Amino acid sequence: MRYDAVIVGGGLAGLTAGISLQKAGKKTAIVSTGQNALYFFSGCFESIQEPTPEILSLFSEAGVRVHYTPGVRLMPMGTFKESALALDDVSLFPAPDFGKKVLIINFMAYHDFFSSFLAQGLEKQGMECRIRFLNLGDLAQPELGPNQMRAVQIARKLDDVWEKVVQEVRVLLKDEDTVVLPQVFGLNDASIPERIRQGIPARVVFAGTLPPSVPGIRTQNLLKKRYEVLGGTYLLGDRVTGAHVYEDVVQNVVTKQLDRHYLEADHFILASGSFFSKGLSSNPFKIYEPLFELDMDYDTDRNTWYDPTFANHQPYLGFGVKTDAEFHPSRHGVPVKNLYVIGSILGETHPELGSGAGLAIRSALQVTQLITGKP
Amino acid sequence: MRVPDCSVDPFRLCAANMLDAKLHGGQVRLQTEVTGILREGNTVKGIRTHNRNTGADQEFYAPIVVNAGGVWGQELAQMAGIKVGMFPAKGSLLIFAHRVNNMVINRCRKPSNADILVPGDTVCIVGTTSSRIPLEECRNVAVTPDEVTLLITEGMKLAPRLASTRILRAYAGVRPLVSADDDPSGRNISRGIVCLDHEVRDGVKGLITITGGKLTSYRLMAEMATDLVCKKLGVDKACETAIHPLPGSEEGSYEEVAKKIWENPTTAQKVAAARMGSRVSRIRSTDRRDEALICECEQVTMGEINSAIDRLEASTLTDLRRRTRVGMGTCQGEFCACRAAGLLAKAHGCIEKERADIDYFLQERWKGNFPIGWGDTLREAEYTQWVYKHVLGI
Ligand SMILES: Cc1cc2nc3c(=O)[nH]c(=O)nc-3n(C[C@H](O)[C@H](O)[C@H](O)COP(=O)(O)OP(=O)(O)OC[C@H]3O[C@@H](n4cnc5c(N)ncnc54)[C@H](O)[C@@H]3O)c2cc1C
Ligand SMILES: Cc1cc2nc3c(=O)[nH]c(=O)nc-3n(C[C@H](O)[C@H](O)[C@H](O)COP(=O)(O)OP(=O)(O)OC[C@H]3O[C@@H](n4cnc5c(N)ncnc54)[C@H](O)[C@@H]3O)c2cc1C
Repeated sequence: MRYDAVIVGGGLAGLTAGISLQKAGKKTAIVSTGQNALYFFSGCFESIQEPTPEILSLFSEAGVRVHYTPGVRLMPMGTFKESALALDDVSLFPAPDFGKKVLIINFMAYHDFFSSFLAQGLEKQGMECRIRFLNLGDLAQPELGPNQMRAVQIARKLDDVWEKVVQEVRVLLKDEDTVVLPQVFGLNDASIPERIRQGIPARVVFAGTLPPSVPGIRTQNLLKKRYEVLGGTYLLGDRVTGAHVYEDVVQNVVTKQLDRHYLEADHFILASGSFFSKGLSSNPFKIYEPLFELDMDYDTDRNTWYDPTFANHQPYLGFGVKTDAEFHPSRHGVPVKNLYVIGSILGETHPELGSGAGLAIRSALQVTQLITGKP
Repeated sequence: MRVPDCSVDPFRLCAANMLDAKLHGGQVRLQTEVTGILREGNTVKGIRTHNRNTGADQEFYAPIVVNAGGVWGQELAQMAGIKVGMFPAKGSLLIFAHRVNNMVINRCRKPSNADILVPGDTVCIVGTTSSRIPLEECRNVAVTPDEVTLLITEGMKLAPRLASTRILRAYAGVRPLVSADDDPSGRNISRGIVCLDHEVRDGVKGLITITGGKLTSYRLMAEMATDLVCKKLGVDKACETAIHPLPGSEEGSYEEVAKKIWENPTTAQKVAAARMGSRVSRIRSTDRRDEALICECEQVTMGEINSAIDRLEASTLTDLRRRTRVGMGTCQGEFCACRAAGLLAKAHGCIEKERADIDYFLQERWKGNFPIGWGDTLREAEYTQWVYKHVLGI
């Protein structure tokens, strides 16, 4: 099978590249091992201060509901963080003191949503808070066991009975102007959070839970679906195990499941993520890119990899694959012509592209332009 | 060559001793620092304390004060104007994520670096190094990358598999060795138990110091100290700690204990029995919700956490970690820190403090992680950075 482009890694970067290449009429395949950073997504796209029309249509065409409202968002532990582009689940406010009286809804025996920390944070902003617990077992049978009270399992239940939650909240609501709910709604239906908002006669704020992230998984599923609707081939659960590079050109890559079959393409895109996703590996002596052994941009002295203070910026997060202005990496000093590197595997080597989701999307779009030759 | 070596769970040992003291009518004050020794003339009358949780200062009076402050015994003695010369010896060790051995393995040589591999609970530990450090550094000891390299290379000689076993944590502590009285230079160190009657030694009544020794000899140290106290108080009774088992250890192995209580014990119940012995029957389990796992790696349930809060004086995440192993597994406190903090906040009604406690806990965990920050540890570390800073907002 020969493609215009084969993409290693199906996280936000790989999917963005795949979708935009398919839209430009290219034939592509994505090989992805499994979980990616979107499973832990906060719902906010870091470092996108002003989304281009291209970024906005990437989401709207996939059915991912985003809004651009520079301001602050309420964090799960009751603090606030500046954000600009977020999923519709996440409310962005001009300032932290967004309400006067708040009703916080939690579920009984759910330990991954921190209603008391939230209340404390909001009380600091001068808000009055009331916490009420719903019993999920009353809303949906069979009841979840004590160790099944996790975000995704709860969300699966709630996809069917979210309207009962709306009714319960309406009964509980007194004179509060705001209701805070955990982010466990709309796993398979992106319209549910909005419909909950319409059903409750107060401002509704969804606050994050411990991972996995329900809005993140939904986003991943929608982007993947969009990619496949455009004709892309998504090889889920497969892993690229090797590559043949001849002189300065990647000939093909080998995957675990396709066995001796090679994936051949004109262009290859490496979007395998950072340490967490195993796009980067490390041992006591070095940090390296395991698939192609690409040249890295980092300090080899292990003593410089960390800051002993957890809260400080950690130098290792900045390490990444070294590329030129056109995202081509090199091996043993020789640039690889038809290989491009995008997403968090770049570390902080392209500070102008931002970090997190901003870096993943921007680098993917730029590489698409380079491959399609279109501005 | 076979030697009768054993290993002990030091966390359970401390908790069981504390509980034993309480069962005999003693009081335990955790998070309470001795800030002064009250001395009138040549007699010690009591101590001044500072409670780190409440910020309250309080004085306690007693005919005898026992200084069992480990390496900090020097500072404590100084508060009474007495000189005890400690010889702080830092030791670093590595904790591996699973057991490669079921019995203690020793190098057959004179004590040296990394010559013992000890299995414990779900992990195994290789240690140790030894280097003298100034007393001021005892409060904040850190493992250096050089020590890590040394422990791995030497450890591999004990068990080659260590080279490919994940390291969970690097850890350092300070041995309370004592310089012999007649040798203030500290060259002539006593490795034995040191029990000082300051009335005889320094002419100060009402104070004794027990230090030196080893964990292995802790009970004997305590016996020597209590015998001396009894002599001073005119009590004539034989010490019984050598014949009475500690609370929780009265009955057989943890498997037997678990089977006695539950027909088909779950993994969580079995590991809880290993942590607590027969005391495990007292874990609160009023309904199924108490079975909810707070810490997946170490299988710690909500019931066990709440029991530790109620009965074992756990007032911080660090206390909880020592009592239940919460946060000590492969993820090093990823999610359980927040969950457990939520339970502590609920029990104590102090949310503000728990927030700060999470920060402290994460920093403590990182302290033992960055010296071994590569491979899966670095993956977890990156994940923790994102989750706590960008997703949870700490
Ligand atoms: C826990 C966590 C939470 C985050 N939260 C946010 C957030 O809230 N907001 C934000 O803006 N940013 C967040 N980030 C930053 C995140 O890295 C970026 O936002 C972005 O999602 C990264 O996308 P990516 O496609 O580069 O990498 P990833 O999402 O890591 O995807 C890489 C994929 O490649 C796969 N892969 C790796 N090697 C191979 C191989 N050999 N063969 C096949 N597949 C392979 C991996 O399995 C993975 O699925 C978070 C990161 C982490 C780790
Ligand atoms: C790396 C290492 C490895 C070791 N390995 C072994 C081994 O394999 N086998 C073995 O038998 N022994 C071993 N030991 C030795 C053993 O751990 C110690 O000898 C033993 O723990 C000492 O017990 P202790 O009660 O005297 O002092 P500590 O355990 O140090 O206890 C002193 C206590 O006093 C408290 N304290 C201090 N100052 C104050 C104050 N002002 N107010 C209130 N409280 C105060 C401290 O917080 C501490 O809790 C090892 C030690 C180290 C460092």
